[in-house]
Amino acid sequence: MRVRLPGLYIALAVVLAGLIHVIAVLTLPQLAPRNAHARLAPLGPANTIIQLPAVNAGQQVMPNMAPDVRYAACLFDLSEGPVRLRADIPDELWLIAFYTPIGENFYTVIGADMKRGNVDLIVTTKDQAVTDATGDSPEALENLVVVNSPVTNGIALIRAPLAGPSRAGEAERALKATYCGRPAAPAPVAVPPVGAAPAAPVPSGR
Amino acid sequence: MPVSNAQTHNSLWRDEGSTSMRALGYFIGAFAVALILGIGSAWYMIERGSMLTTTRIGPWTSWLSEGNPNADPYTRAHLARSGRLPLSSTAARYFAASTDSSGGRLSAACEYTIAGAPLNARWWSIALYDARGSIVPNPSNRYSFNSEEAIRRSDGSYEIHVSQKVRPGNWLPNGDDPDRNLTLLLRVYGPRETDVSGIGQIPAESLPKIELKRCE
Repeated sequence: MRVRLPGLYIALAVVLAGLIHVIAVLTLPQLAPRNAHARLAPLGPANTIIQLPAVNAGQQVMPNMAPDVRYAACLFDLSEGPVRLRADIPDELWLIAFYTPIGENFYTVIGADMKRGNVDLIVTTKDQAVTDATGDSPEALENLVVVNSPVTNGIALIRAPLAGPSRAGEAERALKATYCGRPAAPAPVAVPPVGAAPAAPVPSGR
Repeated sequence: MPVSNAQTHNSLWRDEGSTSMRALGYFIGAFAVALILGIGSAWYMIERGSMLTTTRIGPWTSWLSEGNPNADPYTRAHLARSGRLPLSSTAARYFAASTDSSGGRLSAACEYTIAGAPLNARWWSIALYDARGSIVPNPSNRYSFNSEEAIRRSDGSYEIHVSQKVRPGNWLPNGDDPDRNLTLLLRVYGPRETDVSGIGQIPAESLPKIELKRCE
């Protein structure tokens, strides 16, 4: 009886180890404190274009960023409705990729596939109607690409690979000209602030 | 060993007590072993990858479904921990190397020649990083070579020299800290050969060789 005991404990250890292994692997994505969204969030507010600084020794936003790609990000927040992203794509190397906060790439626009040289994207959650963002005009819908996001908070990352070091300025200017934000169509947001948003007329003296 | 300890006492009561003490000891031991094994194996498979998640071709490692929303839990955990935003394998492929082609750790104290065959893709780039994914500072601000700027032979093949001292041609400086470990990352955007599900295929023979030249 006593002799068998260690065997029992070895079996227990193996089963427990397997269980701990599975729990660790499954919970880690939620626990990782320095995921891509957490790294980008300090750089700027949601729903605006943030130009990422060119990769510099010792300080870069995310590890392994390409020194010969210029980046701009938009941390989209769909909790108040769809978000629009517009860009004139100056060369076919550009890529616009959409991510969940941990970095799952759920949609990508490839510059080479864009015939018109510009993209007009609307990011929505599954239960948001696109007409929320465009008003009702059907012609506005025509050129629009609808991106269904599995997450309310996510990241759009625009990559401008450089054809050579001398192209950096050009790429940065083009990235700066891109737009990301709440669609302008349904304007009446400013009048009565429903939440506690410090947007509209605040008593003077503050 | 608790066994010899128990035998020094004759009384039944003490014997029973030590049995349950031993049981508790075994239990705690089993739990500690389980914790180490469970966490250790999880860490290893997330950090280093395994047959399930990564392919290894010579010195190059590639996480097959990194960035893919339907990726397995190991790849998901690896991605979340890395803090990176990789393109999924239908838009780009990434290959990382932290050793040379004969298996030695890439070090800033050594000189290497990267010899590559032409890659069938819209754009590619080879960049040099330290072990933490930061670029290596150098006075000429040269951190990578891409398909547009690398000097190539007429057949599309190329050579990149990784060294401290200036080299003619494609020179990628490896900095002035000889203790630094290095990592090379090859990114291939828009591979033109794809499989049926649209995943970019990079033939093994077209991945560059990393040849050690000399060490200081």
